[in-house]
Amino acid sequence: MKVKALSELYPILAVTVVVFISVALLGGLDSVTRDMIEYQKELKVQRMLNEIFPDMTSYTSEGDIYIISADGTEIGFAFLAVGKGYGGDIDILVGLEDETTLKGIAVIAHAETPGLGDKILAPDFTDRFVGVNIADVAVPDEGGKIDAITGSTISTKAVIDAVRTTAMEKVKELKD
Amino acid sequence: MTKFWKQFLSGIVISNPLFVLALGLCPALAVSVTVVNGIGMSVATAFVLLGSAIVVSSIKKFVPDIVRIPIFIVVIASFVTIADLTLKAYIPTLADSLGIFLPLIVVNCIIMGRAEAFSSKHPVHLAIADALGASVGFAIAMIIISFLRELLGTGQLTLKIAPYLDLHLFTLPVLGENPMALFILPPGAFLLIGLLLALFRWRGWMKSE
Repeated sequence: MKVKALSELYPILAVTVVVFISVALLGGLDSVTRDMIEYQKELKVQRMLNEIFPDMTSYTSEGDIYIISADGTEIGFAFLAVGKGYGGDIDILVGLEDETTLKGIAVIAHAETPGLGDKILAPDFTDRFVGVNIADVAVPDEGGKIDAITGSTISTKAVIDAVRTTAMEKVKELKD
Repeated sequence: MTKFWKQFLSGIVISNPLFVLALGLCPALAVSVTVVNGIGMSVATAFVLLGSAIVVSSIKKFVPDIVRIPIFIVVIASFVTIADLTLKAYIPTLADSLGIFLPLIVVNCIIMGRAEAFSSKHPVHLAIADALGASVGFAIAMIIISFLRELLGTGQLTLKIAPYLDLHLFTLPVLGENPMALFILPPGAFLLIGLLLALFRWRGWMKSE
């Protein structure tokens, strides 16, 4: 009787031991790498902000808006905008010089068609946003000043519209 | 030829995971868009293959048949998590390019397949040979596929070494301006591996047992 009960218990014991060892090992690894992973994420944000604000020396975040400073003076704000592209969400970092003018944009993540939709990454497109008034961020047909790219109208229009709507949203937030 | 070398070589030629066994095609084709990605995925997969083969073979005497699958999965998932955390902390660009396919290595059939079919039934040194062979076979297949996909699909070859650090190797004359974008996309990947498999069968290379 005792022997039979033991051998039925054994598989449970085996799994428990394996899981226990695994969890202990991974828990240990997590505590070792956690800080490094956070650091890498911060580095990524910093690099992207630097792309839009080359003069930046430091930044802080208030909620979901980044406040950019250069040697103690505020030089602008930045925030994330999400556009509905052809292949999915497009993550865009938007930089504002002040409450009405754009400093620039950077496309962080996308799932657009290579060779066509991914032209939104090219400086040729992102440069069109530099120094533009928020109200003018639209295609010419809709009263704006930013041209879409032929062959990738959906991708480019998604970026343009997302930048404008989110910028207006965030500016309202800032004013409060 | 020793058993070790025989097992090692069979993983590359006779039982090549991608070209012969056709295992783990989904993550392989999703990631092999550039040569750098292909190599990165191969390294991550090799790490998990080797680690899990050693552990599974070492504990095989203590694993009751009835719970072997859950135990293998815990072992494999542990190695994948180690790879995931390590890459995110020290090589975040690779972690980003592999994206969701890094954690998905857990369910990559190559790993579970070799553990179940071989590592759990053979001594440790042979399990190591099998894992190394499968890893090298996988890597060679990935490099061939991603090399062709990058060349035909973008007309150029670029090595992304670090963020914003691209080592552009060369651009092909005609394809450089008009690349066949199909090969960057999933349908092109399937087409390519289908054609490669057809080529190998026709020429009689990599015949499975």
